[in-house]
Amino acid sequence: MKIVVAIKQVPDRDAPVRIDASGKWIEESGLQFAMNEPDAYALEEALRLKEAQGGEVIVLSAGPERVGTTIREALAKGADRAIHITADDLGTRDALGVAKLIAEAIKPESPDLILTGLQSEDLGLGQTGVILAELLNLPHASLILHVEATGTGLKVKRELEAGWFQEIELPTPAVLTIQSGGNKLRYATLMGIKKAKTKEFRAVSAADLGQSSAPTVTLGQIALPSKQRSTQILSGSAKEAAAALVEKLKFEARII
Amino acid sequence: MFSFHATLAEPQHFSLLEKLLFAALVIASAGLFFQRFDPILRKILKSKNDPGFHLAPLGRRIWEFFSEVLLQSKVIAQRPLPGVAHAFVFWGFLAFALVTLNHAAVGLGVGFLDPTGQGFSGWFGRFYFYFAAAFALTCAVSIVGLFIRRFFVRPRWLGEKLSYESGFIAFLIFALMVTYLGAFFTTDASPTARALWWLHTLSLLIFLPLIPHTKHLHLVLSPVTVFLSRGEFSDIPPLANDDDFGLVAGQDLTKIVSLQAYSCVECGRCTEHCPANNTGKVLNPKEIILGLRSYLNDIGPATEEPLLGKYNSQEAVFQCTTCGACEFQCPVGIEHLPIIIGLRRGAVNTGAWEDDYGGKLFNQLERGSNALGISALERDKFIQKEAFPVFDGTQEYCLWLGCMGGYDPKGREIISAFARVMNHLGTSYGVLKKEKCTGDPVRRLGNDLVFQQLAEANLEILAQNNVKKIVAICPHCVRTIQEDWKAYGTPPEIEHHSEFMARFAHLLPQKPSDEKIVYHDPCYLGRYRNVYDEPRQLVQITGTLVEAPRNKERSFCCGAGGGLAFLGEESGERVSHVRAQELVATGATTVGTACPFCNTMFRDALAATDTPPQLLDIAQLIARNLPAHNSQ
Repeated sequence: MKIVVAIKQVPDRDAPVRIDASGKWIEESGLQFAMNEPDAYALEEALRLKEAQGGEVIVLSAGPERVGTTIREALAKGADRAIHITADDLGTRDALGVAKLIAEAIKPESPDLILTGLQSEDLGLGQTGVILAELLNLPHASLILHVEATGTGLKVKRELEAGWFQEIELPTPAVLTIQSGGNKLRYATLMGIKKAKTKEFRAVSAADLGQSSAPTVTLGQIALPSKQRSTQILSGSAKEAAAALVEKLKFEARII
Repeated sequence: MFSFHATLAEPQHFSLLEKLLFAALVIASAGLFFQRFDPILRKILKSKNDPGFHLAPLGRRIWEFFSEVLLQSKVIAQRPLPGVAHAFVFWGFLAFALVTLNHAAVGLGVGFLDPTGQGFSGWFGRFYFYFAAAFALTCAVSIVGLFIRRFFVRPRWLGEKLSYESGFIAFLIFALMVTYLGAFFTTDASPTARALWWLHTLSLLIFLPLIPHTKHLHLVLSPVTVFLSRGEFSDIPPLANDDDFGLVAGQDLTKIVSLQAYSCVECGRCTEHCPANNTGKVLNPKEIILGLRSYLNDIGPATEEPLLGKYNSQEAVFQCTTCGACEFQCPVGIEHLPIIIGLRRGAVNTGAWEDDYGGKLFNQLERGSNALGISALERDKFIQKEAFPVFDGTQEYCLWLGCMGGYDPKGREIISAFARVMNHLGTSYGVLKKEKCTGDPVRRLGNDLVFQQLAEANLEILAQNNVKKIVAICPHCVRTIQEDWKAYGTPPEIEHHSEFMARFAHLLPQKPSDEKIVYHDPCYLGRYRNVYDEPRQLVQITGTLVEAPRNKERSFCCGAGGGLAFLGEESGERVSHVRAQELVATGATTVGTACPFCNTMFRDALAATDTPPQLLDIAQLIARNLPAHNSQ
């Protein structure tokens, strides 16, 4: 089975994000970047499928030079080769623009399966994978926790609301967007990093893919979310306070 | 009849037939010895070279050889009674070297020790035979004692199976001594003297070929092993090249590892002190070494057969807390930690080790800043809340928070207490805006990739901030920064807060009281760093020091080391509970610790005891007596 995994490099969750001088993008200097978590799970699913079925895992990522470290991490974890779509202007491409780049890069590979995270940790649009399926004219399913090859197609487990799951079957080739937490992520190893150095790592530009660099979106201004404190002190006896807390957790916070 | 004669009887005038028989027996015995010893020697020499091995400093090696081999310091110190008995047997052997040479020379008619002679040679001969007789006597008594211990007392560390070979060898040693001493009770010309000579000879010649394939090989190898140790405690070798991932297969075994595997005398001291083995886990450090020996015997070095599997289990290797009690105890110079960590490196660097907790820890440290998996922003908030000065290059000390000090609630209390002590002393210090885990857990778990990333990132942060001196509350941080980071750069000077506070003890509040405080030696402060007195000095200015039965060099681990604090539930009894019960049994009302990991382990373990004593770090013991206005 030939699998393409589209991954994205995002600012590290711990990184303190600042806005740059233009007010239209974040300050990237001093920022740490990491693999988008749902993409890491997509990669893990792909590697497990390859281990079970045989085949090839191709990792694909769009972004500037720095994306190379995340691609190498994916190669170290077991991907067989990589395609880097070099683009410094992701900020002015919307989900459709990015999906077009990815779709064009995937076409010549004609894979059996395309996996990507269901959304990115930075912009959180959750559309790139779905648009990609449309552009490639392939069936797709989103929020996937588990993929099983049936021989003729795929059986996948989708996450629904409130602890419900759905199992569906679909033919290949297909596009799946993967939810975090379906598997345990493997760790990168020294041996993997050394092997990664010898793996094919191909760079293509937007122009190579026949895509213009005209902005598909313009950013007016970006802002950090304002902090809101909403501490509530529950009064009354312990029993009353506990009852009020349960009430609030159930109906206001909706977490129990 | 036997009667005591002033000198040793040495039979004279051996017939040609006797001489030929003697020569043939010597050749046969020596031949058999070499036939068995040669393949072992070849296996050791065929193992790969040790990366990063230096013979220098020679002085230390000579001292260790003198102390541990000739004086038997470790053998005696750690098991006094059998240790002294062993030392007498060993010294007996040394004293007998000259006697044995002369004994053989007599058989060929060229004996050189001549007790009946005139002048110096006669005096020396007489002196030496009596000198050796004294050793023969103590050796004979000792070997009987050791025989009784092995076959009747049967301490479980010696293994369940009785070694009849050891019994037979003890008998041969006893026979050697008795046949020597017996010769004082007869005359040169008597047939008894001749019989004793032959019995002595036969004992010796039977003994020799029994050496290579039994634990008695340590007679030949262990002096070399002690001399050629890797050096420092838990000295983890650098990886030799791009194909070196640690101890994966036979081809990764180095000469020193193979030498150590063949040197094991199977005394079981390592097992006796192993916290994993003592709490019902699979790990038995002795069996790890013997597993490697069996591997070498059956498969040999320079092969691709995995080391973990048939001969040693992955499960056992990952149960080690790296407390180092085994390495510290070993009387024949085996360095267990580089071996166990080497096997872990082999499993982790190749991805063969699959563990949910371990994988999570590695991913966390690959991406995040700390082993606890908490956002680095939480550390910033803590620093702001405590209003710690930020290190800007002008202060004398960089206060290293570490994962525990920066993120763990109890660890933070320790840092805050120590900061109060430094404020009281007027020390200029600052904390770094950003720091990452030192890499201790990944270093001990064998993940060289993440360890290198963390060490390099931290070294860069320290260099950027122009840090010259660090003080830290965590012995794991101290050890890792000072020793392990050396592989990737030059770390700044570092000390543990116990050492720091002990230097200024005279400026700290002196409030000795009746409060019984039992001090628990953290492995990474004690065995790893040789710091035993400083924390005790601090305990004594705040209360009355009580010692646990196992203390100082023999302290029993809390169970957290070696990355195990992050690996979830242990099998068998919990190490921390066993130690906590031991601490409670001293009757102390306070448990004093000097490591935030010990602290966190005991926090839970003490809560499970009937009357939990209070648990305080030495910094907290000192800070509680500081005047209140210093509390900022």
